[in-house]
Amino acid sequence: MANLQYVGFTTTLTTIAAACMLAGCGGSDSGTSTSAPGAQVKISGVVNSTAYTPGSTANPTLAAGYIKGATVCVDSNNDGICEASENPVTTDANGKFTLTVSAVGPIIADISSSATNTASGAAVTAHEILRASLAQVTEQQAAGLVVVSPMSSEVQRMVEDNNTSYQTEKANLASRVGVTAAQVLGDLTTLTGTAQTLAVTEANALNNRYVYATKKFDNKELYPDALAVPGGDPELASLAVSSATNTVTTDTRQPITFLQAQQAAFNVEGIPRYDSVFIVMLENKGTTTILGSQYAPKINGYLQAGNQFTSYYATGNPSEPNYTALGGADDWGITDDSQWNCDATGANAVQDLPVPDNTQPGLANSPFTTTCTQASGINHNIVGRANLFTALSSKGLRWRTYSESMNPGQDFRTDGIADSAVTATDHVYAPGTLAGNTTAIGNAALTLPMPAGLYKTKHHPGMAYQNVRSAPEWKFSNRTLGGGQWDAVLTSGTKYAVPAGYNVDQFGSDLQSGDVGQINFLMPDQCDDMHSIGVTGTVSGGGTGTASDCSGNNIIVRGDNYVDYLVKKIQASPLWANKQKRIAIVLMFDEGTATTGHNSCCGWVPGSSGAAASTSTNPLSKGTNGQYAQDTSIHNYNFGNHGHGESIFVVLTNQASAPTKVSDSDAYSHFSFVRTLQDMFQLADPTDDSTYMNRSKYTEKFIAQNILNLPEYQSSADTHFDSVRPMNHAYVIPATYRELQSSDVTTAAQVGPDATQKGVWAVK
Amino acid sequence: MPNLFRIALCLLPLALAACGGGSDSTTTSTSAPATTPAPTATTASAPLSLAAQVGDKLFFDATLSGSGKMSCATCHDPNYAYAAPNNLAVQLGGTDMLQPGTRAVPSLRYKEFTPPYADLLDNPDGVSVPGPGGGFTWDGRSPTLADQTSIPLLSANEMANASPADVVAKVKAASYAPLFLQAYGSDAFTDTTKAFGYIQAALQAYQMEDQSFHPFSSKFDLYVANKIGGNMTAAELRGLSVFTDANTGNCASCHYQGAGLNGSSALFTDFSYENISVPRNMDIPANQNASYNDMGVCGPLRTDHLPTSLGAPNAFCGLFKAPTLRNVALRGAFFHNGVIHTLYQLVHFYNTRDTNPEIWYPTVGGTPRTTPDANFPTYGLITTQYTGGTVQKFNDLPAAYLGNIDPQMPLDSRAAGSTPPMTEAQMSDLICFLNTLTDGYQPPANPPTHGTCVD
Repeated sequence: MANLQYVGFTTTLTTIAAACMLAGCGGSDSGTSTSAPGAQVKISGVVNSTAYTPGSTANPTLAAGYIKGATVCVDSNNDGICEASENPVTTDANGKFTLTVSAVGPIIADISSSATNTASGAAVTAHEILRASLAQVTEQQAAGLVVVSPMSSEVQRMVEDNNTSYQTEKANLASRVGVTAAQVLGDLTTLTGTAQTLAVTEANALNNRYVYATKKFDNKELYPDALAVPGGDPELASLAVSSATNTVTTDTRQPITFLQAQQAAFNVEGIPRYDSVFIVMLENKGTTTILGSQYAPKINGYLQAGNQFTSYYATGNPSEPNYTALGGADDWGITDDSQWNCDATGANAVQDLPVPDNTQPGLANSPFTTTCTQASGINHNIVGRANLFTALSSKGLRWRTYSESMNPGQDFRTDGIADSAVTATDHVYAPGTLAGNTTAIGNAALTLPMPAGLYKTKHHPGMAYQNVRSAPEWKFSNRTLGGGQWDAVLTSGTKYAVPAGYNVDQFGSDLQSGDVGQINFLMPDQCDDMHSIGVTGTVSGGGTGTASDCSGNNIIVRGDNYVDYLVKKIQASPLWANKQKRIAIVLMFDEGTATTGHNSCCGWVPGSSGAAASTSTNPLSKGTNGQYAQDTSIHNYNFGNHGHGESIFVVLTNQASAPTKVSDSDAYSHFSFVRTLQDMFQLADPTDDSTYMNRSKYTEKFIAQNILNLPEYQSSADTHFDSVRPMNHAYVIPATYRELQSSDVTTAAQVGPDATQKGVWAVK
Repeated sequence: MPNLFRIALCLLPLALAACGGGSDSTTTSTSAPATTPAPTATTASAPLSLAAQVGDKLFFDATLSGSGKMSCATCHDPNYAYAAPNNLAVQLGGTDMLQPGTRAVPSLRYKEFTPPYADLLDNPDGVSVPGPGGGFTWDGRSPTLADQTSIPLLSANEMANASPADVVAKVKAASYAPLFLQAYGSDAFTDTTKAFGYIQAALQAYQMEDQSFHPFSSKFDLYVANKIGGNMTAAELRGLSVFTDANTGNCASCHYQGAGLNGSSALFTDFSYENISVPRNMDIPANQNASYNDMGVCGPLRTDHLPTSLGAPNAFCGLFKAPTLRNVALRGAFFHNGVIHTLYQLVHFYNTRDTNPEIWYPTVGGTPRTTPDANFPTYGLITTQYTGGTVQKFNDLPAAYLGNIDPQMPLDSRAAGSTPPMTEAQMSDLICFLNTLTDGYQPPANPPTHGTCVD
């Protein structure tokens, strides 16, 4: 091993360890192959690149190309660095390289800012190290073209992660992407059509990860991430936090190795990378209302079969603040369900003009109110704030929201309206299908016209964010969700011009094609989501009636059936069947109903609420001087009621080796979930708090370090409960700790740690 | 409990002191880098607006009364959570300070979230069906805190000013008149109607802005905010359970303490109106007149829901507001007519109104017993046991409106002599819990390890 400096790196003992690890786990794929002494072999190949161009009104615009000016070598010592002794070469304008070496070996391509990405024509902005395994080089060298790409790195990473073989993981990656094994490690630029689209989409996602892996390695970050350390965050030992909840007193982490960084980039803060997550949003039921309920047998079945978080807290009341928090980890002082343009003035003025009111072409029946001024003066249009949607798009990743029972032809930014031309028959529940009913419930003679408000903008996690509504992909990414009571006749709607070929179930189509988002929010209508609205109609033969199952306990049955419909639909899809793709389903509620006890956690302190608050509790943001300070631009921020109790939270995955029946009882909130999603899709960097959006950065460490500007957190009796963490089950509850609860939970408070510390999101 | 998020505790009062008094306290002495956003004052109360400063003066000004002896604070004493400083059912006022009121003094704390009255107000719990709710005074007849001020200022048995102009003239002559002009303009006294409106607005601003009207500084607040000193005792937690349990106390059904309207939380009221038909209080002189019935929302003080004739069907008769229970332990007179005077008696009324009506309502036609049975309760309003006779249950509500009585637990109209909803132990715990709602709580240095409200 050379102990030289090269392209800004210093080889250290760490790299020795890395090399040893590689030799230890890679089996026959690692190391160099033996060849006759003195013989020289030529290895020719290319280094592939991808480029993302913003502005697409559909899926992200991605292109394949080459890296000009990459440093390529046979990394004979497997340290991830091209030392001078390894005789590196530089790729030409077409990304080509030719190595002349004594023996075929694994290749790395070191892509620095002096290189050029031909896919964009621009200089490379972030350092990235890619590699191709010995097995791949051996295979491809014979054919004359070794392709170094994020795909080649990924295959070797999977080999190391799963302790399998090159051929196995090449086939697995091909399956994940949906191309042939030959295509997946071939030159991306030579692919065409769907194969190229699929391959470049994955290569872009992988490039994001390998850039991040390289950053971790370059910065010699401590491994693992602080909040993934088993037991608890080791950085808290010297900070003013509750001693009862923080028992980890030493930080034994070591600087990360090259190979550790390769894996860690796919497991940010202990949250594994998923390809897609489907988040099914339900409404307003606390844990006790669902857990064990005879009205929700199917959800309970999923609770028992899958994994769950048992102390999951809403962040507000009513819906809109909760959905807004799910979209971007803050509710911005919104405390009602009002329209997104309410009190949006000055810097918050609405930019997506014209607003979709009834003066607009085709929107004569729009219910949108052009102006909205409320006594409280709380701005409802969130301008310029980070959120999951724009964060995904900015990385060339995808998002979708699927909403049920919209009026065909309506604008997504307006609530659904009543249409008497669209009618459905009341749901009838045969004996034994509704909490053990002995007689049928429902009236087959009752005809129900489509009511107003089945679709509500308050139930859209991106609606409040101006930059989401203004995003070029807004219309493309907002889609229909089937399964509704009025679906069969929706296209006979009379309120708007029904678009030609209107698809009432784009979700079903997307599941078949696989063209879904990384994050997919599924919003059932206000009957199927258990919310309840008034649905009345006429009975043939005379009289009027009310829908059998859009209120009371019956709506829980209805929602339970709808959830089952969605889960089964996802689980029957080719997407779910492709086990090389990691797919998760989340079943959750926007809020509980708790009125007593601890109604919120993890980023909120309930006691700071009210006009009474003597303290300014505005959120912290990082100024241009690098210091965190209160953002005073948010009017009325103190008023939020900060939580509405606990609800069930189910996670189902398609991973055959994933642990099941895992129960994580640590306290989490919507802010925790947003942090978790940022980790899952690598949208933030745990070493930089400011990269986590809004209140999702409020970890215990962050709060302790900024306590002078966070008066609402002072004098805390339980700093762990107050703070945000990823939902990774790394924290171990101390043996004598009694969990805090809201009145949405009636089971006895747990004392001590969970039965297992396996992660709810774990894939093996 | 050492080593918590408490570094700043001793620093902040210093910062406050350093910048106190001035109107510009948007920054503290902690580092304020010259970039945006700048840090703001952390624990300092926002300074009162000019309007609120005027309101402060008005609130305590006894010259604003016909007697010259009564200010707002006379009945709404800041030392008693802005309610009465005594246990009188009604207070005396008027130009001679001898005119009795007709209802108990409500606390002025935690009014900032109260919406105007509506017959079908959305319930803050998000579950209950809409019903009469909101508004100020026991019957909701006033829509805003500002509007409400004219009632005490002008009532002949309260501050007894002759007219709005009378009030304006007194303010014009007051020492703080310059402040008033500063707040509302140099011609603020020119138009009497406008000037009276400013006075009302100033009183509202003071109540909305000043911390003392909504301190949220009870033990319960420490508890829900997860703060040091907020550990509820076992008895208090049991009491909380009784408070919320629909099968025992069920207090939370109306004295709702969850997340509510417009970002409110834990107000211990849902702003709703119920008829629970408390006993007539003969200590109120108006009640000496047998034909006088205070029926809340349906009158007589409120006039927009009057029955078409006495006895005509009217769902609003007998409805009074469910007040906040914050600082309930500081009160000396409970319910709209102040007929109950202790928490102990109050809780027992809820528990035994139906099972032992004879201790709450008068009996006619019976024979008093010289010595009651050993198990005859002594906590009631009536401690005389009768042989025979008829209990005049619901004696403050015309019979035509008995159907308006709220059937919710614990007042579920169960049969006399049946088992009451709560046990004595549960009521004891409930009182312990209600005591945690008193503002200004300071955790004791050495909390007791035993006691009625501890074990």
